[in-house]
Amino acid sequence: MIMRSGQQLLLPANPLFIWASLIVALLLNMLPLGRVPWMPDFLALVLVFWNVHQPLRVGIGIAFMFGLAMDVHQTSLLGQHAFSYTALSFFAAMIQRRLLWFTVPLQALQVLPLFAAAHGAELILRLLGGGVFPGWIVLVAPLLEALLWPVASVLLLVPQLRAPDRDENRPL
Amino acid sequence: MSLGTIDRSLPPFFNQGPSALSKLMFFGALSLFLMVADARFNVTQPIRAAIATALYPVQWLAVQPVHAVKNGSAYFTDLSQAQSESAEARRKLALKSLRAGQVEQLTQENDRLRKLLDLREQLAIPVLAAEVLYDAADPYTRKVIIDKGQAHKMDLGSPVLDESGVLGQVTRVHPLVSEVTLVVDRDLAIPVLNVRTGARSVAYGDPIAGGGGMELRFMGSNADVQVGDLLTTSGVDGVYPAGLPVATVSRIEHRAESAFSKIYCVPKALTTGARHVLVVKPVTSDLGLLPDAPAPVVPGRKGTAK
Repeated sequence: MIMRSGQQLLLPANPLFIWASLIVALLLNMLPLGRVPWMPDFLALVLVFWNVHQPLRVGIGIAFMFGLAMDVHQTSLLGQHAFSYTALSFFAAMIQRRLLWFTVPLQALQVLPLFAAAHGAELILRLLGGGVFPGWIVLVAPLLEALLWPVASVLLLVPQLRAPDRDENRPL
Repeated sequence: MSLGTIDRSLPPFFNQGPSALSKLMFFGALSLFLMVADARFNVTQPIRAAIATALYPVQWLAVQPVHAVKNGSAYFTDLSQAQSESAEARRKLALKSLRAGQVEQLTQENDRLRKLLDLREQLAIPVLAAEVLYDAADPYTRKVIIDKGQAHKMDLGSPVLDESGVLGQVTRVHPLVSEVTLVVDRDLAIPVLNVRTGARSVAYGDPIAGGGGMELRFMGSNADVQVGDLLTTSGVDGVYPAGLPVATVSRIEHRAESAFSKIYCVPKALTTGARHVLVVKPVTSDLGLLPDAPAPVVPGRKGTAK
């Protein structure tokens, strides 16, 4: 496998951990914090992350199912989140090979247009469906998601960064 | 080196399943189909109900920490605030009890007069208490979710009240929860009566006006409306029982280019942060007048003078 220089070899990802992280992101999205238009979509972030890092395990189908769950929870148009998550996963799979060659801050810069496009698609769909324009503050959401990309890159890769051989003197 | 470091299942070189593009086409088309089916034909209710029921445990789990923080902060509010709140509540109770006594007497009198005049008796209204689970996070509509559903014999189209007025209407019923569209939602309209003048009109939700208000449409520039007028439900729609407070008029704009004036109202109910609500059975369900396919929400956007 050809890798960026200085990149650490990772342990195989645990499917249980992938699912647990997706469920936790769903829970974070479901926290009843009221109607906050700039709230970052944690589930979209985690879905894009796993689509980039584990494209064989998390794909478009899973993104679609989680999108339906978000639609029912938020009482939005059924299929709105499903559509944006499907598109997100597809574009994440498209840029997956290129993205991992960059350092994490540059990766965040490259996923920003993805999140912006997903939010834009939702906005257009809802305005076509007769929704109320929630204000320009919605533009903050994709920015926050891109800013959270480095955080996700650290947190979600922690189990794979452990040492392959357990050593008493090296706990991590 | 231990064997756990290698992914032992080989990546599928030849059998990769459908391509990403075909998956995108399939799921994209499926979601577009679902959106059209949801917005235009209202046929997705079984899917929604099934997903909502499956999601219920996750939702319950997500609600817990926020409720715990709220309850915890309530536990630590200081004594003087608690005492003042209790005094305020007692004062309100005293006022209400005076009024309740009067109402008791007036009801009896009204009953006798109605019998004397041979009028139709007023219906007793069955109610159901419910708790708001969470505000729907969707920024394009104004809805809340309450913790009663089909399992508690909730009816579609039931009016929902809080302690100070009409909060909204039940627009979707799932097995365990229900969705309530608030009065400030753009798609909700309520027939109202101006208590001061007795004039009837229709109040529409107006979510843009300062975080959520209502609007009286199609009132002529010369109509007798003043700031501070109380609007109550008129009962002509056969859904809302008559006489429930809905809103007060807050601002009137006379516009030269239009024969109508723009009348802004503030809802009486707490449209953000209501916790305990009362669900009332729709009036017509008792009379058997409800059509087979009830469409209780009046589409407010169509044919408006905007």
